[in-house]
Amino acid sequence: MPNSPPASVCVRDLVKHYGSVEALRGINFEVAAGEIFGLLGPNGAGKTTAIECVLGLRRPDSGAVAIDGIDALAFPGRAKERVGAQLQTAALQDKITPRQALDLFASFYRKPAGTGALLERFSLTAKADAAFDSLSHGQRQRLFLALAFVNRPSLVVLDEPTAGLDPNARRELHRMIAGVRDAGHAVLLSTHHMDEARSLCDRIAILDHGRIVATARPAELVSNANVRPKVAVKTRLPLDAARAGALPGVVRAESQKGGWLLSTTDVNLTITGLVKQLEADGNALADLQIQGPTLEDVFIELTGRTWSTEEDA
Amino acid sequence: MVNRGGRLMDQTRRRPGLFRHFLLTLRLNFRNRQALVYGFLVPVFFLLAFGSVFRSDSPLLFHQMGQLLTISILGGACFGLPTALVAEREQGVWRRYRLLPVPIGNLVAGTLAARVVLVALAGLLQIALARLAYGTPLPMHPWQAGVAFLIVTLSFLGLGLVVAALANDVPAVQALGQCLFLPMIMIGGVGVPLAVLPAWAQRLAGFMPGRYAVDVIQRAFSNSEGLHGAGFSLVALAVVGASAGCIGLRLFRWDSGRRRGRPVRIWVAAALASWVAVGCVALETGRLTTVLPEAAEYEAITDAQIAGITFGDLPGDAEFVTPLARPFVSAADRAPVEELIAQLKTWAPGQLDDAGQSVRNLVCVACIADVTRDPREGKVGRAIFDHLRKNFPKDDLRRALAWMILRPDDGTVINNAPELGFHRHPPQVTIRSRGVLYAGKFLGRLEGRISD
Repeated sequence: MPNSPPASVCVRDLVKHYGSVEALRGINFEVAAGEIFGLLGPNGAGKTTAIECVLGLRRPDSGAVAIDGIDALAFPGRAKERVGAQLQTAALQDKITPRQALDLFASFYRKPAGTGALLERFSLTAKADAAFDSLSHGQRQRLFLALAFVNRPSLVVLDEPTAGLDPNARRELHRMIAGVRDAGHAVLLSTHHMDEARSLCDRIAILDHGRIVATARPAELVSNANVRPKVAVKTRLPLDAARAGALPGVVRAESQKGGWLLSTTDVNLTITGLVKQLEADGNALADLQIQGPTLEDVFIELTGRTWSTEEDA
Repeated sequence: MVNRGGRLMDQTRRRPGLFRHFLLTLRLNFRNRQALVYGFLVPVFFLLAFGSVFRSDSPLLFHQMGQLLTISILGGACFGLPTALVAEREQGVWRRYRLLPVPIGNLVAGTLAARVVLVALAGLLQIALARLAYGTPLPMHPWQAGVAFLIVTLSFLGLGLVVAALANDVPAVQALGQCLFLPMIMIGGVGVPLAVLPAWAQRLAGFMPGRYAVDVIQRAFSNSEGLHGAGFSLVALAVVGASAGCIGLRLFRWDSGRRRGRPVRIWVAAALASWVAVGCVALETGRLTTVLPEAAEYEAITDAQIAGITFGDLPGDAEFVTPLARPFVSAADRAPVEELIAQLKTWAPGQLDDAGQSVRNLVCVACIADVTRDPREGKVGRAIFDHLRKNFPKDDLRRALAWMILRPDDGTVINNAPELGFHRHPPQVTIRSRGVLYAGKFLGRLEGRISD
């Protein structure tokens, strides 16, 4: 990619074991400035381990991590100057205030951001002097995001940033993360939410058991997948299995919520055939939806496993 | 030059971070009610408890300040520091600190520095309250007291780091902390004074740093020569503290998810090895001789004081209280107490380095026989008197007996002696009062003012 901007983070052949468990099996990826790169995978896929290796929280068994061209394993202090992070399992002392926390963390960096500006940017000015244990979950997440910016980082790492948030707070945080990308920061994000990855990330790497099984833009992943579209149909009178399965183009018919989910090789052909069949039977359509391939379908196709059956790490 | 200048600039810019962390640690501690209770109320409670237990001492609590301050330091090290560290680790605070571009050891050092300040404040509070409530004098050597306090605090905070590294959660801190705290309080010479502990416990205390901590702080308070002569205790504290500190830092966990495996046992054994090494050296160099109760000072009793003692009010030798048999003239006279006479020759409480306390212990045997109405009571008294005259220089004996008469509440008393066949436990206060009478009868005879 000769026209791509220089990579903010470049990960090469990262391997990490926990005893006999292979958490990472040689993963590679790059994140450019002004890009949101998502590590997508079920719990236990290796997302957090990969992020912890990038942040210097864990030392990989082998491989390389470069941040803005700096070898993060050889010069962790210099690399940490350029990285801001929001961690999934990190909190603050109960009685610390957002202002104190931002002042404290900023004071360790060479080029700190202003506390007041960060409070305003992340809508925390009204809660600047409130104790941490009095903040709502959404306010805490915004504070953690603000803490990720105290050092004016070129790379922002977000580990499951919307975990546990209600839909409104999640939308608000998505807006902020998009704003981070628009401000020119590179964003490395881990998530196990398909919709979040699809709507927020410019590129996605799908992780499975410590390996990256695919890396591409979300739309490309879906369009390149060898997954058939589906037609979800409900009829006024019951449609029997033999008729549903015999419709043109249908390769598989699954009973679903009082209707049928039809996997088809040709959506037009199947719908046309369906309408003709219903007219002939004196039946009529009650509901019809066309479902394109999803990232979940892509994951199933790539790994042979369903998303929901994965176990936690 | 440019690089060096740049590096200096970096250092000056980063200093505020560590200093801010230090200040914030202090500030957050004062916002935590539980930390305030453990850090300040508990030391005050110990002060009041000591004040009531040692109320007969003069000046009050002056000779217990080493113990009191050591308890405060021990509490801060065994519970305060590790509780704060483990709670923050469980919250994920140290995980976030780990992202900062400074070595995690610097932040640990800041936390330790804050704890030193907190423990010092608790110590100053104890000293001030002792002064106000009991009139306890200030330390004779204030600067040396400060140095001793600092050395003890740093030594014990090393132990706190090990506790923090071993404990997986806050309740585990309490359990592990008690494993250090209670032995030192009970048999380590910190809570219970060494002098009242049995000899085996006193020797065991030599293997615990608490004994040396009390020694150095107390010397700075009440020893006219201050820390002079406390070299071994200071080295012992330095060895124990340095080994624990190094191992605590080595085992330090910033992430609650990271559990320690088998190697941790080796490190803990290494930390405890420094205790054993200190104890063995102390034992080998004769530093663990039995400590005797303070304030015997029988030697300070003057001839004039002895001359001023009157013997007219003593009960008769054949009366119900303090009977005393006539001198033994035949084997038959001695027969009922023959075994006792033989046992007294090797009875340890009668052979202490402190002749005054030894005499007091021996007289207590006569008192026990009297109070428990032993059928041989009069002959026991005579056997004790004969033993005293035979085994103690006359001058020592007369001063020791006079000391019992003039200072009946000094020293300690024995109120049972199963090894001599006296199994009942009469009240100590009764033994003390009978001891005054027997001491009078014995001293009167030594002085020739009572005919035998």
